Amino acid sequence: MDNDDTETYILLLLADSNLPTGSFVASSGLESYMKHGFASSAPSIDVAIVDFVRDSLASYARSSLPFVSDAHRAVMDYALCKGATDNVVPHAHSTLSTLAKLDELYQTMVLNHVARRASMTQGVAMLTLYSKGFSQSASLSVFSTPEARDHEARMRELIDHLKLKIRREETYGHLPICWGALTAALRISIERSRYLHLFLHARSLLSASVRLNELGPYGAQQVLLHAVRPLVEAEVARCQNLRTGFLDSLECFDDVTLGPANTWPLGEILAGRHDLQHSRIFNS
Amino acid sequence: MQPGGGCITLSLHGARAVFSELSSMYPLKLLSPYVHDRTAIVYLLTYGGGLVGGDEVNLVVNIQPGAQLVILSQGSTKVFKSRPGRRLASVKPFALHFKADANHQSTPIPSTRQNINFHVAQNSTLFLLPEPVTCFRDASYNQYQRFYIEEGGSAVILDWITSGRMSMGEEWAFSHYHSVNEIFHDGKRMAKDVMLLDNEGQGDTLPERTLRQKLLPYSCYAMLVLYGPQLQSVAAEITGRYDQISVFKTRIPDPVLWSLSPMDRARQGLIIRVAGIETEAVKFWLKQTLSGLEEIVGKDVFRRAFT
Repeated sequence: MDNDDTETYILLLLADSNLPTGSFVASSGLESYMKHGFASSAPSIDVAIVDFVRDSLASYARSSLPFVSDAHRAVMDYALCKGATDNVVPHAHSTLSTLAKLDELYQTMVLNHVARRASMTQGVAMLTLYSKGFSQSASLSVFSTPEARDHEARMRELIDHLKLKIRREETYGHLPICWGALTAALRISIERSRYLHLFLHARSLLSASVRLNELGPYGAQQVLLHAVRPLVEAEVARCQNLRTGFLDSLECFDDVTLGPANTWPLGEILAGRHDLQHSRIFNS
Repeated sequence: MQPGGGCITLSLHGARAVFSELSSMYPLKLLSPYVHDRTAIVYLLTYGGGLVGGDEVNLVVNIQPGAQLVILSQGSTKVFKSRPGRRLASVKPFALHFKADANHQSTPIPSTRQNINFHVAQNSTLFLLPEPVTCFRDASYNQYQRFYIEEGGSAVILDWITSGRMSMGEEWAFSHYHSVNEIFHDGKRMAKDVMLLDNEGQGDTLPERTLRQKLLPYSCYAMLVLYGPQLQSVAAEITGRYDQISVFKTRIPDPVLWSLSPMDRARQGLIIRVAGIETEAVKFWLKQTLSGLEEIVGKDVFRRAFT
């Protein structure tokens, strides 16, 4: 099996809707959007849902993908022992400190307690998924090469330390940072990591709309196939060069064109008002 | 000092606020019609009542220990694409025109920029309560505000935008708006709010979705920050009001909608966002919600800020 096949196989595992990633309790503001009457003006419910997915996805892509990209890059450098100066191998410590700084920046940029809460829950779930679901037990190690075992040991050390830091409340463990770290640890390319991240965001919105009884399961599938695909592609293309600015030198980083930003103030208000709903079935 | 540059330093002499510095250069203009006890007002004005593409405002504001500075503007900050009389029909010839200018090689459409750095010392308070920004059709606006707050300093920060010149049929018809508000407490970043609104194309394959479609039915969006010890009672009152809200399923969106979140784990600050179908309704909401400020700045100042 070559590298590309391995990557495809891991993508299949990650895209499984049964993975315990916590996304099934998140509606990212959709429940609040419906409750506040914003779907009523649309000609039909599926148009309203597609509009929501589109605006939510655009804002989420612009605000989170810079963090996914930078966290992925930091962990890839660690995996490849790159970025070493004066023959000092960058060890888990400096990579962890980079991840913590990205996490801190994300926390200061997501100024909505509901979105922060959901992001932290899902972030930790990603790391748990790695250490419990993707790591290799001794009995399974006979199936892999020594090189793969070595890589895995290094990654497990990093991810375990990150989890520990989160548990000690030394860092937050936001989803885009944890996702970037997880996918890099699994040696998924940055392009595919960004793509899958947005796809999963969109898919969880559609699952939420089914659970809210707004769309049927077949209708949601149609939207996923026909609308979500071009939307995800457009956002991935638009955001491929975005960075947080943290890993780049400040002189050549233009915050306005390349930095993370929120692009949908209405979505921000509705997501923030989630907890005010008299009755609700989601956590965000 | 460069064109558009400015500096405000407010100090406290005894129990009285005094401007140790208040200077600006065209097109920026600063006016202070009011100083009373430890509180002063400065109006941020621009010649001609607006900013055009290529204009750059760079202002530094220092509030020294114990002083209170209220910053207002007269009418909304209007952002035009270009100077009146030189308006061009489409973007393209304008871009070519600007390529000829050596300073604007990399930016085809010249943006308007406003950068303000605020230094808020201990026991001092900033009240930044301007009128909203109004970007005209095709205008491009970038605003960057940094707030360096020392331990014990406080700030009220209002940053808001309207959909444009409704009387001219313009509704979210500008080309680009980018606004950053970055708040530091003793050098540590507490919040970095970045709002990007633009009408850029989304490729040929997707059906069009304009900024207007994304932001309707609202025509005014505001972001309000309350930070620091001076504002704790105002913040507590607003939080109390917010926690009383209970949302039931409705078919028609509220004319004014707002959300509130604590800024940090220590709850030293609040972030409030407001949307309104009418700008006037948002203004009225702000006046009502911030009525607790009257006690801090006095009746007179409060009236000037919310007329």
